Amino acid sequence: MAENAERSEETLYKPSPKSIEREKQAMEEEPKEDLSSLLLPNLNDLPQNPPTAVKFNFSRYFLPDFTKPGHDQYIYRHANGLCVIGLAQAHVALKEEGGVTAVDFNVGKSDRSELKVTGKRKRNAQHFESNSALCKVCTNDNFYIVRCCVKGSLLEVNDRLIKQPGLLNSSADREGYVAIIMPKQGDWLKIKDSLLSYEDYVKLRGLL
Amino acid sequence: MTSPGPAIEWQTALGNAKLCLPPCHVIRDLLSTGVCVRCIFRLSGIHDRDCYISPINESELISVLEEQNEIKCNSTTSTNCCVCLGVLCPSCVVPEKPGADLREISSVNELALLISDMVKGKQYRIDEFSLEVSLPPVITANERALRLYLKQKYEKEQWFKDSFLHDHMSVKDTLKLVLNASLENYLAVQNVETLSSSFRIRLTYSHSETSQKLQSMLPNGHDSKKRERGSRENGSSKNCNVPDASAYRVLELIEDQNFCAQFQVPPGKVDKPCQLVVACYRTPTYIGGRYLKYSRNVSQSRWIIDDERMGETSVEEIIGENVHQICQGDGYKFHSAGREDIDVRMLGSGRPFLVEVSNSRIVPSSTEIEQISDKINHTDKKLVGVKNLKLVGAEAWDLMREGEAEKQKQYAALVWISRPLNVDDVCNLTSLKNMEISQKTPIRVLHRRSPLERSKVIHWMKIEKVEGTTQYFLLHLCTQAGTYIKEFVHGDLGRTHPSIGSILGCRAEILQLDVTDVKMDYFD
Repeated sequence: MAENAERSEETLYKPSPKSIEREKQAMEEEPKEDLSSLLLPNLNDLPQNPPTAVKFNFSRYFLPDFTKPGHDQYIYRHANGLCVIGLAQAHVALKEEGGVTAVDFNVGKSDRSELKVTGKRKRNAQHFESNSALCKVCTNDNFYIVRCCVKGSLLEVNDRLIKQPGLLNSSADREGYVAIIMPKQGDWLKIKDSLLSYEDYVKLRGLL
Repeated sequence: MTSPGPAIEWQTALGNAKLCLPPCHVIRDLLSTGVCVRCIFRLSGIHDRDCYISPINESELISVLEEQNEIKCNSTTSTNCCVCLGVLCPSCVVPEKPGADLREISSVNELALLISDMVKGKQYRIDEFSLEVSLPPVITANERALRLYLKQKYEKEQWFKDSFLHDHMSVKDTLKLVLNASLENYLAVQNVETLSSSFRIRLTYSHSETSQKLQSMLPNGHDSKKRERGSRENGSSKNCNVPDASAYRVLELIEDQNFCAQFQVPPGKVDKPCQLVVACYRTPTYIGGRYLKYSRNVSQSRWIIDDERMGETSVEEIIGENVHQICQGDGYKFHSAGREDIDVRMLGSGRPFLVEVSNSRIVPSSTEIEQISDKINHTDKKLVGVKNLKLVGAEAWDLMREGEAEKQKQYAALVWISRPLNVDDVCNLTSLKNMEISQKTPIRVLHRRSPLERSKVIHWMKIEKVEGTTQYFLLHLCTQAGTYIKEFVHGDLGRTHPSIGSILGCRAEILQLDVTDVKMDYFD
């Protein structure tokens, strides 16, 4: 491999004849080196551990002991108002021997995994209260009800949990999310102040 | 005052025209019915402009036809033509300014002058024009009535051939024939036939008196509902206007018998001429090219939420305002082949775009377009740049949209992974060709887009290591149009799969994204 940065750029693209032509054209106004130098980051700007996509794009809120002790849940709220609901780090289900073994969305009056929301206006979305059940999370010895936490329309449940309940054990804070809810602005404001920030939750539960 | 006889030039023209004209007794009949000389000429199929601009009046016409040397000085009839309602005489009334007194026009010259003065006053820069004429539907009814009358009365006579009815010029074409040359003269630019010039002069004629009569004669259909609604909404309005289109439709469908029963045959005489409104406008001007966006704080289109602007400015405004300044239009619209987020730069080949300027006073020359280009590219803050800026036709819009879904896009993403990059990772990623991925609607747009699962193709990927780091690298990739790149990198909580993270078996985050190529043949 060539040590020279310029040379390595030539092997970077797999140019088709058309793009070779275009590159030649671009070279008259904007030499290839310019483009690459625009693309390369300044090393000083690169953090050792950049913020995760979740931390960057959402505001993280926590509800410890929601309706029952040990039932810790999180709400990740996006700037567009959508709320991702899931099990927080210190939820009792995650502490059990063997962890989560099954997830069942058939709770309450309907199977939540069967809903079909369509269109920009999110038609056919079911409206739920904050204490409505989303799903049942089973461990070897117990089961726990996961609830909505905020009043709103249920847009989506994470049906991957049905086939891969282990996602809750490995990444409950990301791929193991439970559902996405769209609350009205007013309903969100009602509960907002009662929620804990990430830092406060971590302190409360003595994590990290 | 004795009216002078027709001058020698016209006499030759009229001499030739005589062959097309019907016999004298028919002409007398038509004249006494109230048809003007020019309508007689055009219904007879005369196409010679000289005949139409001759100020010959009715009595002079008779004299010429009967080859009388003595010219009777009959006063010209003060009423307007019962067919063209004065449009061709020419005679009309024009409001000089909205709300001001009406001014009477009675000659071609006067009319041409009025129109050209009006156009010059609007400060358009033009090198050609097209004339648009809008006439009240009642004129079509008048023509039909006249033809039916002639048919009823003369169809047994020898001169009457079916072709007499068909080989004629319409009122519109005659008016254009008469006016275009004069307008060319006064405006010092060429006329373009068949509305293919971008600059249009629109003459709208209206005649409330007969139009209302026509309305009441129209058979009851859904039109009556419109009138009812109209009169309920504005009971004081006298003109419950049935739109022209439906009036023409009714006239087309109605049979001769019914028509004669409802409409006066031959058409009745009228006292007042039409009212004329003169307007001019230019059809949309399109300027296209490719743009580059160097800033991560500039949105593509104007983005304002709750009175607060998001980002520093927008591509739309930077390019649009500069174009607008030169074109002096009423407004502009910005269209592009796709878009990128506010924090994503558009580099490399640039993204095709179109600015549509409505009613531009000036159509920029290529020098002026260069000026626009230079202005945009040499601002202090290099936020946006343009390439290949040029004037394009209306078809450019369709070309840009054509096959949007097939267009491939190339990106460079700065990716971080939760463990050091190794050789296997690089091989892994670069060996994947035309890989299909499935993306659920990203959470960040889920609030305004349908929840769907979309299948997209990643055509190829290349890794460029970042010197001095082990967990950062530049990911170059070429994907199908419509692929969400950020979600392909971080996985969007598993809703996009496979993702870089799932392929490499670790956590992946995206720090920066740049578009490096939008593959499109047009706008190059």
